[in-house]
Amino acid sequence: MQFTFSTFIQQIINGLSLGSVYALIAVGYSLVYSILLFSNFAHGGFLVVGGYACYFLLTQWGYSVPVSMLGALIASGLTAIITERLAYKPIRERTTTTLYLLIASMGVNIIIENLFVVTVGGRIRALPQNTFPTGVFKIAGITLSSSDIISLVTAVIFLTLLQIFLNKTRWGLAIRAAACDIRTAGLMGVNVTFLISLVFFVAGILAAVGGIFLSVRYSLYPQLGSITTKAFIAAVIGGLGSLPGAVVGSLILGLAEMLTAGFISSQMRDLVVYSLLVIMLLIRPAGFFGKAVSEKI
Amino acid sequence: MKRNILLILIGLALALWPMGGYQEGIIILMCINCIAAMGVSILTGFTGIFTLGHAAYMALGAYTTAILTVRYGVHWIPAIIAGGLVAILIAWLIGLPTLKLTGDYYAIASIGLGEAIRLILENWQSFTRGARGFPGIEPYTTRICAVIIFIGLAIITFNFLDSRLGRELRASRDDSAAASLMGFNTPHTRMKALLLSAFYCGIAGALLGGYMSFIQPSMFDMMKSTELTAVVVFGGLGSMSGTILGSAAITLIMEYFRDISQYRMLIYGLLLVIIMVFRPEGLLGSREIWELFSLKIFKRGRK
Repeated sequence: MQFTFSTFIQQIINGLSLGSVYALIAVGYSLVYSILLFSNFAHGGFLVVGGYACYFLLTQWGYSVPVSMLGALIASGLTAIITERLAYKPIRERTTTTLYLLIASMGVNIIIENLFVVTVGGRIRALPQNTFPTGVFKIAGITLSSSDIISLVTAVIFLTLLQIFLNKTRWGLAIRAAACDIRTAGLMGVNVTFLISLVFFVAGILAAVGGIFLSVRYSLYPQLGSITTKAFIAAVIGGLGSLPGAVVGSLILGLAEMLTAGFISSQMRDLVVYSLLVIMLLIRPAGFFGKAVSEKI
Repeated sequence: MKRNILLILIGLALALWPMGGYQEGIIILMCINCIAAMGVSILTGFTGIFTLGHAAYMALGAYTTAILTVRYGVHWIPAIIAGGLVAILIAWLIGLPTLKLTGDYYAIASIGLGEAIRLILENWQSFTRGARGFPGIEPYTTRICAVIIFIGLAIITFNFLDSRLGRELRASRDDSAAASLMGFNTPHTRMKALLLSAFYCGIAGALLGGYMSFIQPSMFDMMKSTELTAVVVFGGLGSMSGTILGSAAITLIMEYFRDISQYRMLIYGLLLVIIMVFRPEGLLGSREIWELFSLKIFKRGRK
């Protein structure tokens, strides 16, 4: 494979587009981690719910594209809330060991994935072609598809909205307080149970957006959620619990993946991702933006 | 001593009880899963280091044994031991830098390393035949062989846990600062636990290869790693008999639902969540099973 400048630019664009989808998912991971200090592996499940909800609203019930997408966001957000109430709340009320939450979240992920296998089948589906405006622009040998642009723009819009929500609203203030210290926030009159549900709802919405983009980009199948492992790695590289970190980590990962695929071999891209993770953990376990936690004695 | 005799009796029953081929398969699978779970239990239950990547050591053991027996014609007994040793070697290389990580970060690093090892096996086509898998392994894992290795390792494990080294592991789990003040070299302790657990998983992987006659990198993915840790948590952290019971129970439950394979993973997921929600301390908590009985006798005596 030869190194040409236009392939380089092409892979940068692909990388940014992939990274922006990762960012939407990674921010959800980080948001939950910042409050509950555990890695919610059920996030992939929320994403799949979003994808399927959008698919069925569009094709089976014939709703318009915006309505279907809104429906998908809500379905995913509600799934996240229900998961939290049924699976995580009893655990976190009983113990402070986050490993139990981690294993339960993996269980939830398996449940959601296989619920879809059992009910709608494991076959690969595709969202209708006209979900997004399609079109390909060619500028100086570089292909720029409209879905790349849309995913970048949407990611920027949603992340900005999230930033405004966290920084300008009372609920956002409460979430930031809880991220500092959830018990003190509770003592200060924040309704912690409601707050956690809210955080999960927001994370679910972001996962659904990511899910819709992924099912347009690739296709829709029950195991689509496994791609969130990459977003999780991005969140770790950026620093778990840090939202800017999640975005930066996602862009780095998207670029690394696409540049590897473009110039080395596409089989190596996953290996590069996991090596990046391990190297980052060895150099700086807290990631780029994470709070460095000193060991408590 | 009584415990060793009990284990040998269980082993004799498992090895000699007349049964059909299908039941034999379940016993073999149970022994393999228990060996791997014992390994993870040493690391997670007794030393307090959570891992989500131990399936990789099973893969290393399985591939080493398969390649040695099929390509180089080595007898399967030294090949299995070599599988365990390769797992130890890689664990040592991995452990040197990563065991310094504390808390969740070791678990996350182990996900990355486990997946990286799987991907290397998958992409090293010329050596491992890649994702298509490695067929034609001699079916050396008979019921007798699996039971002997399992019971042998179980006896070693229980006695080892009562030894000085076993107490060292527990001390470094419960309070590593106090343990190092008492003169234990806690980083060394953690390393010993990792090496031991890698050895057990390597052996388990080697036996799995001999039972299935076919191995594939995707058999040792993150799902398998999670299953290993989940089984240990289900049995009870810090309880070796709990680990063995839990592992045997999960194997039986999963086998029972083999006919409705569509629902099998669904049930597995539900089990994970239900266990975590209703009994996070696991089947036996941190006690061994005979402690439960002796406790009852003790109480009766006091009345």
